[in-house]
Amino acid sequence: MDELLQEFISETQETLEALAGEVVAWEADPADRDRLDAIFRFFHTVKGSCGFLNLPRFERLSHAAEDVLSEIRAGTRGADPATVSAVLAVMDRIGELTEAVATGTALPNENDDFLIGQLAERQAEAAHPEAEQAPLAQPQPGAPRSAPRTIRLPLSLIDQLMNGVSDMVLARNELSRKLRERSADPELDAAFERLSSCVADMRDAISKTRMQRVDRLFAAIPRMVRDLCRDLGKRVDLTLEGGDVEMDREMVEMVVDPLTHIVRNSIDHGIETPERRRARSKPEVGQLKLAARQSGNQIVIEIADDGAGIDTRRLVDKAIGDGRLTPEAAGRMSEAEKLELIFHAGLSTAEKITAVSGRGVGMDVVRANIERIGGNIALDNHPGKGLTIILRVPLTLTIIPGLIVRAGGQHFAIPRSAVVEILHDNNEMLSVDSVGGARVATIRGVRHSMIDLEDVLGLPVLNQPGPRAIMVVRSSAGTPYALGVSAVDNHEELVIRPASPLVMATGVYAGMTLPDNGRPMLLLDAGGLAQAMDLPTIVDDRAVRDKAERANGDACEETVAALRFEEISGERRLLQLSMIERVEDIDRSQFGRSGGRAFVRLDGRLVPVVNGQHRFDTPLVTALRLRDGVSEACYPVAAVLDIVDMPVTPDMVAMHGMVSGVALIEGEHLEVVNPFALFASLPTDPISDCAVGRCILADADDGWTREILAPLLRQAGHKVAMGLPMGEQPDSGDIILCASADAGAAAELTGRPVVRLRTSPRPVGPGDASIYRYDFDGLMAAIAAAGGRRNGL
Amino acid sequence: MKLTEIAPVPGMPSHVAGLSALRSRVLTIIDIAALIHGHATPTDQRRLAIIANISGHSYGLMVDGVSDINAVDGGPQPLRGQIAPEWRPYARGLVDGDAGACLLVTLSSFVEAGVWPQAA
Repeated sequence: MDELLQEFISETQETLEALAGEVVAWEADPADRDRLDAIFRFFHTVKGSCGFLNLPRFERLSHAAEDVLSEIRAGTRGADPATVSAVLAVMDRIGELTEAVATGTALPNENDDFLIGQLAERQAEAAHPEAEQAPLAQPQPGAPRSAPRTIRLPLSLIDQLMNGVSDMVLARNELSRKLRERSADPELDAAFERLSSCVADMRDAISKTRMQRVDRLFAAIPRMVRDLCRDLGKRVDLTLEGGDVEMDREMVEMVVDPLTHIVRNSIDHGIETPERRRARSKPEVGQLKLAARQSGNQIVIEIADDGAGIDTRRLVDKAIGDGRLTPEAAGRMSEAEKLELIFHAGLSTAEKITAVSGRGVGMDVVRANIERIGGNIALDNHPGKGLTIILRVPLTLTIIPGLIVRAGGQHFAIPRSAVVEILHDNNEMLSVDSVGGARVATIRGVRHSMIDLEDVLGLPVLNQPGPRAIMVVRSSAGTPYALGVSAVDNHEELVIRPASPLVMATGVYAGMTLPDNGRPMLLLDAGGLAQAMDLPTIVDDRAVRDKAERANGDACEETVAALRFEEISGERRLLQLSMIERVEDIDRSQFGRSGGRAFVRLDGRLVPVVNGQHRFDTPLVTALRLRDGVSEACYPVAAVLDIVDMPVTPDMVAMHGMVSGVALIEGEHLEVVNPFALFASLPTDPISDCAVGRCILADADDGWTREILAPLLRQAGHKVAMGLPMGEQPDSGDIILCASADAGAAAELTGRPVVRLRTSPRPVGPGDASIYRYDFDGLMAAIAAAGGRRNGL
Repeated sequence: MKLTEIAPVPGMPSHVAGLSALRSRVLTIIDIAALIHGHATPTDQRRLAIIANISGHSYGLMVDGVSDINAVDGGPQPLRGQIAPEWRPYARGLVDGDAGACLLVTLSSFVEAGVWPQAA
């Protein structure tokens, strides 16, 4: 009895699912005898079985429906929308009852008489044919199909089979390893080959048991479309295509909700009311087309409507209104980026909240759900003409093509779908730069954040002979990024299993897999990795998003002329051209350094050297003369390259010392020198000539003076002469330093300023003006002061 | 089960030793010693693991040794005395074994203990 009941329940549920679409199609074309017969058969079967199983409510309902349908078959009654609604209502009730019986709960105690009454209530309805026609559903040709012979199996049995086959594959692999270790035996090899191919066939066959036709996914759609249209007073012509495409059973279940949501959105927000459509000179009946097809190892589902499309302007206004976007940022956004806003949580273009959608559960959830199963979602928006939403989902949840990568001596898998491209780090198209602590990989002019897998996982980066591999990885929620790994080893079809919650909690793993070598391997979650490293993602980080907008807005951005030059240290940088007064070749002897500051003597004045360079290998130094209107500065460079157009705002803002950001010029990315920081770093007081004169070290024979003091002074930018010049008068700029009393006495005679040094930390007496010889600051100050005295300042 | 090769899982707390394969099942190996004492068992001392299915996932819980499998008469007794704090989250009661009182622990508590600090 129980078994019979169980069978009745599953059969009824299945038929109900399949029939929902048929009823709607039949309503559209009441002359379709095949469909009418199919529906009639259903009620008839239910009536027959439940009489036998003693389910009186089922019997009453199905009997009433059967009566009505037979009237229609006999031609005494038409299939008007009211009748169809009533029939559908009865089917729903049967579904509810079945559910209740299946779960063993009490039968919902609703008034079946009301439904039966509705069935009979035809005259009144028929007299007022509704203005809104029901939508038409046109399943692909060949709709009345004969079901293939099937049996029912519990899922657990199939999973068990699947596991068994996996075990078998592992055993085969081990056997294969063992066989390889032995001497070749052709007979044994042949037998093993046969076994191998059997196992492989079996694996394929078992995998197929998991597949299901997309029809199942579409089954509920016609009914939903019909009901929605009636509620909203819209007319929609539904077309379903590609129902015979097969996809994984679990995948079907995962896609149902997002798909339902999209269809709802389409009808609620996309397709306009007949009046408005007329006003826009579109046919009154909207078109909604769902098409599924297989493309490689993906299933592509397209949901196309000819409604209003997405009004990006309204999206942007809404986003600005919500404070999640600044008007400036919005101005820089491309159309595609604006469209992306629809995926932001809580953003809906619905003007008013309807019963159907616009309740805050929006496209963000749809996208999250699709991406969770490794799929993606794309929009093709034609404002005023319609919207096509393209869902791409993998064929199955459990077997995905993956790349095996190596990092820190371990192997990891990453879904193939997440990887856009793979390069070696010695590739010429790739350059990795370090900017403000972050690493940026530029591949053919496109910048990506760059992370190393080892850094994310806390593994050591091992030295290796060959180049490392850089993968451009598309993370689900954000922008693509570059992921560095030791090597990409292999490409394999991986059977993915869920990892334990403990492992999943790290957020960087999406699951695990047991490859043929029997050593478990973790599947990386591309989005999780990006999150773990706090990489800028569009959804989370608005500041960085703005940055990305700027990067993308290059083409239309205002530019200024900038000088491209090469620093003495070899980097290439940009400097706004308007800052540069002229470019000049200066003799290197004009450069000097004093008190830690570099300067250059130009036209009898001392001009600060902003980048601190003061020693040069070439006799002539190319220098940029900068002027901000008041102060001037000199910027020695290795070479001036050319003048280019640079975006006003750098592509990446990185306020970091002298550099204000990075701009991309002709595929090369260049740091932009920040003129503000340049001038801000200048000394406020004009550089005096103080240090140009020599420091004469009176005690030329003293070891300390020679070995310690002289290098120190030279380092500080002073010219040093050893020993008091004999017989000649010292230059007017000279300062004499002496460590011993004898030398000091001789020095005083020259009439030049003298700085005395002493060996003891403390002054000998109150009149002692000497300076402790290790007091660097005091010494420098004394020299500067002496220099000032010398110049009469 | 005798532990063989354990593939480490980077980025995990120390008590998750890694993954190990038992035929076609993949086990998450939990180092109980690390959970209790705070330092991981050295690789060469990893010997035995108890295999458990906890909420749909397979775990291997590393132990020093298994003495016996006993049916306990009389069911668990309430805890007496001051249980050391590191054991407290896992202890459920006392049972009488052949060699005296044994602490009754539940395997799932070891697994959950690892999950919650992560989630927090």
